[in-house]
Amino acid sequence: MDTSSAPFHGTRMMVRFLGLVVLGAVIGGVAALLAAGFVIAVLALNEWLLISPRSRMMFDHGTLLALATVAVPTIGGLAAGLLHRGIPERRPHGPADVIAAVQTRRGRLPARAGSLSALSALVSLGSGASVGQYGPLVHLGATLGSQVARRLHFGRSEDNITIACGVAAAIATAFNAPLAGIVFAHEVVLRHYALRAFAPIAAAAIVGHVIAIVALDRGALFHVTNTVLPRPWEFALFVVIGGLGALVAGAYTRAILGVARQAARLPVLPWLRPALAGALLGLVALWVPDILGMGQETLRFATIDGAYGTRELLLVLLLKLAATALCIGMGFGGGVFSPALVIGTLFGALCGQVVGAVVGTPMDTFVFYAVCGMVAVTAPVIGAPLTSLLIVFELTGSYTLTTAALASVTLASPIAAQLFGRSLFDIQLRERGLDLSAGRSQALLQEARAHAHLSRDCVILASRMALGEAIHVLTRARHGEAHLQDARGGYRGSVTLAALEATREREGNQASVETIDLEVRPVVRPTTSILEAMDLLRDFTGEAIPAVDANGHLVGVVYEASIARAYLQQSDELRQEEHGHG
Amino acid sequence: MAERGWRRAGWLLMGLVALVTPPVAGDDGNGNVDALTVLSWGGAYERAQREALFRPFTATTGIPVAVARYDGGLTALRQAVADDEVPWDVIDMTRSEAMAACEEGLLEPLSPSLPAPAPDGTPPETDFLDDAFGRCAITHSIFATVVAYRRDAFPGQRPTAIGDLFDQQRFPGPRALQRTPAVNLEWALLSYGVPREELYRLLSTPRGLRLALARLASLEEVHWWEAGDTPPRLLAEGRVVMASGYNGRFFDAMVNREVPIEILWDGQVQEHETWVIPRGSPHPEAARRFIRFATDTERLAELARRIPYGPARHSAAVRVTTHPDNGRDMRLHIPTHPLNAQRAVTKDEVWYAETLTRLNEYFRDWLARRRAPQVPRKVLDSE
Repeated sequence: MDTSSAPFHGTRMMVRFLGLVVLGAVIGGVAALLAAGFVIAVLALNEWLLISPRSRMMFDHGTLLALATVAVPTIGGLAAGLLHRGIPERRPHGPADVIAAVQTRRGRLPARAGSLSALSALVSLGSGASVGQYGPLVHLGATLGSQVARRLHFGRSEDNITIACGVAAAIATAFNAPLAGIVFAHEVVLRHYALRAFAPIAAAAIVGHVIAIVALDRGALFHVTNTVLPRPWEFALFVVIGGLGALVAGAYTRAILGVARQAARLPVLPWLRPALAGALLGLVALWVPDILGMGQETLRFATIDGAYGTRELLLVLLLKLAATALCIGMGFGGGVFSPALVIGTLFGALCGQVVGAVVGTPMDTFVFYAVCGMVAVTAPVIGAPLTSLLIVFELTGSYTLTTAALASVTLASPIAAQLFGRSLFDIQLRERGLDLSAGRSQALLQEARAHAHLSRDCVILASRMALGEAIHVLTRARHGEAHLQDARGGYRGSVTLAALEATREREGNQASVETIDLEVRPVVRPTTSILEAMDLLRDFTGEAIPAVDANGHLVGVVYEASIARAYLQQSDELRQEEHGHG
Repeated sequence: MAERGWRRAGWLLMGLVALVTPPVAGDDGNGNVDALTVLSWGGAYERAQREALFRPFTATTGIPVAVARYDGGLTALRQAVADDEVPWDVIDMTRSEAMAACEEGLLEPLSPSLPAPAPDGTPPETDFLDDAFGRCAITHSIFATVVAYRRDAFPGQRPTAIGDLFDQQRFPGPRALQRTPAVNLEWALLSYGVPREELYRLLSTPRGLRLALARLASLEEVHWWEAGDTPPRLLAEGRVVMASGYNGRFFDAMVNREVPIEILWDGQVQEHETWVIPRGSPHPEAARRFIRFATDTERLAELARRIPYGPARHSAAVRVTTHPDNGRDMRLHIPTHPLNAQRAVTKDEVWYAETLTRLNEYFRDWLARRRAPQVPRKVLDSE
């Protein structure tokens, strides 16, 4: 290496790196403003549309209120359904799409789908659908980061970083929790830790936090004033709550995916499905209004001992779970996190009441049970135990509560991961054909197409050709093997020069190539991934795999060496991105 | 500077116009008014107003001020406006009632440019607190409903949080609370540890109301008061050990009558006290003149030196000093002082304007039900 250029090289890298940090802060600022605007708009819509309890209380016309309760979610669903028609996939995009973009290094989140998804989430949340707001905010921030990278013609690694910046800022603003934002971007989106990515993400989160303080002048999501300490044996209960919470989380994920599958079979136009869900939601809300919207009041009441009776807790928990599955499954725009917070807290409160009934003393540690249940359900759903803990810590400011939550998350995350999958997003991606369970490198190989390494530098022979001519063509091209094509261009099989020579000695020059016992190899189709091609290589010995086009015509080969090279290059890029620091 | 100069010239011009404007019947604008009738709250509050506002107003304008006694509510005003016989010119009204009255068309609209600018020329719009100007009302002071307790009632300990109001185990003894849902509901819900930012959202749900009333129901021996001078008296007579009440009244009892009580500032509920002119006031011009005079920086500071209510103007708040008679530092006794305001609740008057009637009914029903089963409850307790 030329040592004299090293300092210059170092300075240039430093400037580039600092530039990325500044860019991260800028993206963080814009993402935070968008997030703050989104949050304020949802609150305002909830006031105008008689969704928030405050507006419902202040509106003193019983019949009209009941009418609005059914009409508003229905019309909101209709609007969301119509908005989704503008998205190529006909569904709102969300965190799963962000994860896919980063994990497969395809980057590039489309602006149109991003803005339409944000808009539909705004309409859905504003009209009281039982969905969350953090998923849409994460996707909005990520789309912003991706678009900035695209405008600046960044490479894939930088693109991933700008996406993570947008995500971190959105979480930092919406929760007013910068640490949780940074960790969420790493834990859920990037899924690796590199100093190179950390600094811009931290900058984005801090800017988001500052903007949250200025723009969103509102109380913490769950401010808890509690100074009691749980008794030692209660920590064991928190662990158990974690294990049970994993099952609740599993039921929640299953319900959402199940409704989505059933909805696809409904004899209702896809864009009318959310309206149907909205009408159903509104009708049930006439009876139990707790299920409307994000449910912040329900969340608060669930932390108060005695606010709900045990049976009431169970009812609201089940209805909220069903309402969320209905709304998301039927195609409302919105996230899964806020409802999971409510369901988890109700579940924790239920555990607390059961324990209280068994112990028989007033529960001054009730809020601990509620928070443990909350973490036990949310962490597996979003696949982020650390983020959930930090959210508890930053929102309550209570170290004791955080340690209790830690006890609960210890069992919750691994059990749910074993039984159901790393997160709802991962399960959604697996259903769409992207399996992230074996890690990012596998996912990348799964996403990369073997056809990209197609080579036409090979010998393709018509299967009726005479042996002598075939050997002549092969030796002139200096190749060791040839691939045979039938009259319609399809692949027939492969032969080696050695086999041709041996047959010529037996049958003579004029015999047809077809007389040879052909070796039929698996073929690479346009959809075959590198990972699959590597699997194919296991089954035969030879230089290359024949490649066919979409019509089955033999068009060339993919050499074993290029597959190996692609694999090595992929790993090398990943290693640089994940372990590089400049 | 130039801008300020122009603004001052503008004010001067407006003042001249006001003087030259032809007088309305019964009010010739030159002070030849038989008397300006102010409806106010009596007691120590009225005494302070008399010294800080009414007497100086008469001295400056020659208009005598007659004071009528007011205990809140809109029933009398509604009747008077309907009969077209409004006996008052100016009313000292809480903002929530002013909002409701304005909505009903019982009040004259008031312009934000009515008050005088601050001595340094700062226009009223920036000198007054945020949302001090309503369509028909101008906030002059911030008062608080607080809990006061007898210093000698709980040897060895003192209430420190609003939740202690409901803790009759640690702080035994009868309580006095206002016979209204307002403030009581807030405190009851605060005692569950909910953050004050969420109070009104939670009170908007049947569950929140139920929780709050359950907390109130847990209190044994409550005297429900209506007039503002009752709670200090009940405390002074030792008939209750803790009482809710207006902070100014408690201050007066503490300082001027040496009642051994202390104020618990935690959870104080702050409200705006406003000046309004009823529709059909006999002397609307003199009334406007009075409001301009009474909301002037120096008058507001003078009032706050006599009764510890937070002035609605920033320029007045910094001029609050010691009580002219007893020399107490009044800044420590006003609800808006940073030390006292740490965990203050601002009453959501928009919410109350829409809900008060229903809440009152709900509360009355609850009180009636609570009183009825009191005997059976004791029977239950003994089981």
